[in-house]
Amino acid sequence: MEWDWAFVIQILPTLIEGAKITILATVLGYILAAIVGLAIAIVRRSKNKLISRPMGFVAEFIRGTPLLVQLYFIFYVLPDLGLTLSPLVAGVIGLGLHYGTYTAEVYRAGIDNVARGQWEAAKACNLNAWQTWTQVILPQALPPMIPALANYFIAMFKETPLLSAITVLELMNQARSIANYNYRYIEPITLVGAFFLVISLISVVGLRWLERRYGRID
Amino acid sequence: MPPTNTAPIIEINGINKSFGAFKVLNDLSFSVAPREKLALIGPSGSGKTTILRILMTLEGIDSGEILVDGDSLYQMKRNGKLQPADDAHLHKMREKIGMVFQLFNLFPHKCVLDNVTLAPMLTKGVSRKDADHHAMELLDMVGLADKAKSMPSQLSGGQKQRVAIARALALKPKIMLFDEVTSALDPELVEEVLNVLWKLCRETDMTMLLVTHEMGFAHDFADRVLFFDRGRIVEDGKPDEIFRHPKQERTQAFLKKIIAAGHRV
Repeated sequence: MEWDWAFVIQILPTLIEGAKITILATVLGYILAAIVGLAIAIVRRSKNKLISRPMGFVAEFIRGTPLLVQLYFIFYVLPDLGLTLSPLVAGVIGLGLHYGTYTAEVYRAGIDNVARGQWEAAKACNLNAWQTWTQVILPQALPPMIPALANYFIAMFKETPLLSAITVLELMNQARSIANYNYRYIEPITLVGAFFLVISLISVVGLRWLERRYGRID
Repeated sequence: MPPTNTAPIIEINGINKSFGAFKVLNDLSFSVAPREKLALIGPSGSGKTTILRILMTLEGIDSGEILVDGDSLYQMKRNGKLQPADDAHLHKMREKIGMVFQLFNLFPHKCVLDNVTLAPMLTKGVSRKDADHHAMELLDMVGLADKAKSMPSQLSGGQKQRVAIARALALKPKIMLFDEVTSALDPELVEEVLNVLWKLCRETDMTMLLVTHEMGFAHDFADRVLFFDRGRIVEDGKPDEIFRHPKQERTQAFLKKIIAAGHRV
């Protein structure tokens, strides 16, 4: 088997289309994960056990089952229950929910690290719950969590090939169909690996920068 | 001097409070007259800080009743029936009360000026311009107008505590609670904070409750001193009575210990 540059050039446009979907799914999935995680973290802090306990159970359940199974459930089982989603939407929801349960733990640790005196000062200043969260707690809790949150961004990016299992035409899926059609695996699969490696390496450099920038606050 | 024959601004009737098995406050009752300056002294764990925290609604009570400015703090009337206070009621009650903490608890991500203006702008809808103006007056009063744009991390402990006092005053409370506000300070920084308290004591008619180990200052500052031990008031009287002629054995023992530790009385 020899490396065929002409074949590479021929398949590159298709792979780039796939890469765009991979990046899109990562970004949208991550935005969802960031929001879902914050919501889980705040609800789990609720003093009302009727709210915090079920949320804790749901989060543990999602984290305790494989992403691939969840993707299948969202894409192939939900239509039986009357909810049909496009592959990309199903994939983004799957990634967002699954990684939301991980980012929730990052948020939880960050929020717990804000001194108790800050909550008390907010109360003594007569701030309501919304003002306390947005003006006092989150502005202090978020910066130190940024490196850990970015870490999950990279982890999630590398899991996007799972979306090919629910027919999302992301990079891996495109590469596989090219390979199956041409009976040549070496170029498409190598290019997929190279693409993930390059983006991951760039992300790691970015992550180191974030760690220096936000890693600790005085 | 506190005027006599006026309704108390704070009335505490038979409150109890436990943390687990530890009874912090034991059937405690006392009242405070408007404009009165009250010093709460006693050994640690005697419940004096807990009183302030309960008045600021940072801790609840197990039983008993507290009236602030005529209204029940932890209960409210709805359809003629008393019910546990909801957030709106607590919000309304907290408007009357300000608190300064032992560890300052400034908002570290906001500059000095924003620490002072945050609450008036958010809770009272004061405009940025008016809030800034009032905050600068308060910072001037505590001697920190030139630090308005500094971050809390750039200030000394004494400066932080003076900002914290300005922050509490910005909401114009009727009652100010000072919880060991000099205990975390280096000795040379204590005086600048006490000077501010002294100024407030003379120049405002706020009711002030001061938990402190600075016995000399408590003596000069207070109209009345309460000596706490094990969740009860052991002695209640004028500063001269308590500090010069304590009647109770436990008060005498406590003051002796404090003097031995080098505090002036």
